[in-house]
Amino acid sequence: MGNAAFVAINLLFLAMIASTMIVPLWNAVAVSFSSDLGSMQPGILMWPRDFGFTGYTSIWTVLDLWQPFENSVIVSVVGTTVHVLFSALAGYALAQSALPMRRTITVGILVTMMIPFEAIMIPFYVTVQELGLLNTLTALILSGMVSGFSILLMRNFFLSIPGDVFESARMDGAGHFRLFFQICMPLSKAGLATVALFEFVGRWNNLLSTVLLINSASKDTLQVALNSLINQQSSTSSGTLITTNVKMAGIIIAVLPLILAYPFAQKYFVKGIFLGSSKE
Amino acid sequence: MPLYAMLLPTIAYFLIFTYYPLAHAVVISMQQFNLIGHRPFVGMRNFLAVLADPNFWSSFRNTLVLGTGILVIGFVAPILIALSLNEVMQGWLKRSLQMIIYLPHLFSWVVVGGLWIQLLAPDGGLVNAVLWALGIPPVQFMSDPQLARWVIILVSVWKDMGFNCIIYLAAIVGINPALYESARVDGAHRWHEIIYITIPSLARTMQVVALLSIMGLLRLFDQIYVMRNAVIEPQVNVLMTYVYDQGFQQMNIGQATASALLILTVTLFLTLFTRRLIRYDTV
Repeated sequence: MGNAAFVAINLLFLAMIASTMIVPLWNAVAVSFSSDLGSMQPGILMWPRDFGFTGYTSIWTVLDLWQPFENSVIVSVVGTTVHVLFSALAGYALAQSALPMRRTITVGILVTMMIPFEAIMIPFYVTVQELGLLNTLTALILSGMVSGFSILLMRNFFLSIPGDVFESARMDGAGHFRLFFQICMPLSKAGLATVALFEFVGRWNNLLSTVLLINSASKDTLQVALNSLINQQSSTSSGTLITTNVKMAGIIIAVLPLILAYPFAQKYFVKGIFLGSSKE
Repeated sequence: MPLYAMLLPTIAYFLIFTYYPLAHAVVISMQQFNLIGHRPFVGMRNFLAVLADPNFWSSFRNTLVLGTGILVIGFVAPILIALSLNEVMQGWLKRSLQMIIYLPHLFSWVVVGGLWIQLLAPDGGLVNAVLWALGIPPVQFMSDPQLARWVIILVSVWKDMGFNCIIYLAAIVGINPALYESARVDGAHRWHEIIYITIPSLARTMQVVALLSIMGLLRLFDQIYVMRNAVIEPQVNVLMTYVYDQGFQQMNIGQATASALLILTVTLFLTLFTRRLIRYDTV
């Protein structure tokens, strides 16, 4: 087979794969900007039918998506900040060879990585109940406050900082907290960004924690509100029919922050995925 | 000890939210557990109830069937795409394609499930609209027990292939260029380079990806929770939805916990086993 044919077939294959990603999204955009009626009519919809913003206006006003959106922002932003800070602190401590029982603690953290959250969802729920934190955003922020993955990733970043940087600072009498905040954190921006991105996306997309721990609509996160919207559950207590443009508007709202941030964040994602897989 | 102060939040978190629940699970699994009030011990009764529950076994079977499908197709697809992407010579095109293919992995299962439920809808869904234009009668993708499993498997592969693709691409970049140069001197065609150099060099990466995917299978929950409906549930309910349904729909908390412990034990053994297998293989 000639080279030109090879290149052409290869590109055609990739274009086909990529189109399975682009066409559904584009279709969702087109439907979300269609009128209520237009979005419900059958046919290949690649352009809004009766262009309008009713999908978006009804999702904000009638279905009050603002509250879940706000909850998602709070849980994701606060949760990510706390997660990055505590995981980095633990990673720093584990990177110090002077730490007593370093091996035991590391094993204790590694074991947690073998226990999927799904497998302990019921006793986790019971624990949160015992702490009196059921149905609070605090419980959602606490859940996943640190993770073995992030701690080890940060530890590896700190280990890669040349030792003499510390030595000179330690000569000046700097303690561990000062070393951490004034030297390690500024030198590990890439690592912090990677952990923060993964955590933010994970929290923004999280479904199970909210499904488990939250039982009132006012505390629901965007994903749960969207899920009941798509499956026409609790949100439709009024009995109104949720038209397709409203559903697709919800989907677009849920992915927009991710799509907007993604081009800038891509290199950190690639780095994080690679670190995560080569760590084995 | 400032170092211990730094570790304190982590240790406290894992003790309270991982190890305590794990230990508690063992106790709960032997109780007739009520959220409020008396919790009598019932010994092994919950475990026996799980093993005698046909729903548990059908969830187990579904996990195996869906898991095998996701594992096999999800293993081949990213390798094909990574090899294919690697042949694209224009840097910008390669980067954009990689970015687009990774996109669904960024989205939640609520979004991905919602998108596909809509795309596959018999009335007004894009896929059926295209089929109709081709003169094919509408297909009830989401309410046909025969098709439901394929939908679950393919959508899962679609969502995650961009992720593993990035791992393979990074590994391909790391292959010693001298190997290709000597092959080129020998007059090898591109095909031969791919088959005799690239694919064998990826063996280690393939093992890591396979290991990660096997461990991920147990976590199959969000997708099913979002995409299932009453008609297809017998075909697509998996172990983790069984735990959830038992615990929070039937309020059989003791039995649900017993089943989760059984699943966890089996997976831990499976993980250790595959790890060992892979270790020996590479030595």
